[in-house]
Amino acid sequence: MEKIKIEICVGTTCFVMGASSIQALEFEIPEDLIGKIEVTESRCMEFCKDHKDGHHKGPFVKINGEVMADATYDKVLDKVRAIIKKKEEN
Amino acid sequence: MKEELFIEIGSAYTNKAGQDICGDTIHFKKIEDEMRTITVLSDGLGSGVKANILANMTSHMALKFVESNMDLLRSSEVMMDALPICQIRKISYSTFTIVDSNINGKTKIIEMDNPPFVFIRNQKEQVIKNRTLTSPKWSERSLHISQITTLLDDRIIFFSDGITQAGIGTKKYPLGWRREGCKKFTLSLIKKHPNISAHDLANEIIEEAKRKEPNNISGDDMSCAVVYFRKPRKLLLLSGPPYDMNKDKEYAEMVSLYQGKTAICGGTTANIIERELCLDCEIDKTSFDKKIPCASIMEGVDLVTEGILTLTEVYRLLKHNIELKNDNAATRLTKLLINSDNIDFVIGTQINNAHQDPNLPVELEIRRNIIKKIVRILKENYLKEITIKYI
Repeated sequence: MEKIKIEICVGTTCFVMGASSIQALEFEIPEDLIGKIEVTESRCMEFCKDHKDGHHKGPFVKINGEVMADATYDKVLDKVRAIIKKKEEN
Repeated sequence: MKEELFIEIGSAYTNKAGQDICGDTIHFKKIEDEMRTITVLSDGLGSGVKANILANMTSHMALKFVESNMDLLRSSEVMMDALPICQIRKISYSTFTIVDSNINGKTKIIEMDNPPFVFIRNQKEQVIKNRTLTSPKWSERSLHISQITTLLDDRIIFFSDGITQAGIGTKKYPLGWRREGCKKFTLSLIKKHPNISAHDLANEIIEEAKRKEPNNISGDDMSCAVVYFRKPRKLLLLSGPPYDMNKDKEYAEMVSLYQGKTAICGGTTANIIERELCLDCEIDKTSFDKKIPCASIMEGVDLVTEGILTLTEVYRLLKHNIELKNDNAATRLTKLLINSDNIDFVIGTQINNAHQDPNLPVELEIRRNIIKKIVRILKENYLKEITIKYI
């Protein structure tokens, strides 16, 4: 199965809003997700600058290209698990 | 064209084992109008707080007197009169070495009772003749005055007797490491690393002196200062997007045209440079730290970091002279700043509105302010030559 791409914005605003705790995904991957995700960081996705597309609150995380605002470690994991479940069902 | 010269001053100390404070002090001051840099090393009588007070008083008085070009004999009399008299030894005492350097070549060295300085040119010691002055009031104390016309790559090294007496009484060094031993070590180090910075050289000398002591325990306060006449190491630091977006290209070109090292502080700033210069920039995961965002790697740029958080941490590290133990973006930037002589700041003044959100869990400094604070510390405590340009 293709790995799920998680891109975490670690620009200043996102970092102080909690991106650093989402970065834990780099080092401690939950057992059920080992080998299934690929984590990268982005210096600044610049979503914080203009409130376009209804995004207004960091931290921002892109999961397979889809933007999640106000992300947390748990929300990202829930989303990833949902994607995997959906793929398995198909 | 005359080669550009920079006077780099490096100093290092270690306390006598068991003492909380060092009885030696090193102070320096740059007088910009006269292009002069004055360094004073003083060793106070005894050790601990008392010695520290004596040494501090001496070095501050000496700095003031030398700065105002007061007569040397008269100044040293005033200093000795002013120092409190030790209850045990019944003398007022502390030693000093003053190095008064003018960037255009003349350096005057005034010594009293410290081990004689070492002058190194072309990786060899050059012996400098000195003149002796004695005050009738304090006949047992004399001043030695030397003058040198300095050239590029010259070094003046001076230290307290804690260095020359390191290891004294041990089998290997019955008379201590002595000036000769320290000089040999310094020369061999310079041979190995001809461009070693004053900062690193002073630290290496202290570490080597400690190794001479039994069990590496320093039996006396040790201090060492190095004055290095060098070609300046240049650094360009870019931070923040330009106020006017049309200046992005000009801003990015500064990086590609700069003769020296370059650093970029800011995610958006890095994005601009990446876009304008068509470079590839990737996050460097080896710099991971919970408190500081990762650095990135960009070809042709020495360091890329996040902006405000990293700069705020750099300010804290510089201000309190904190040992750079962790390896993260902020310690890397701090090292880069300390290891540069001429630093050119170019600051983009566009404000990121998201930083002003009162809901943020921490208060973020405004870029201009944090840069101003860093610049002040770098000038005053680290004697760097600095320019700032806002764009």
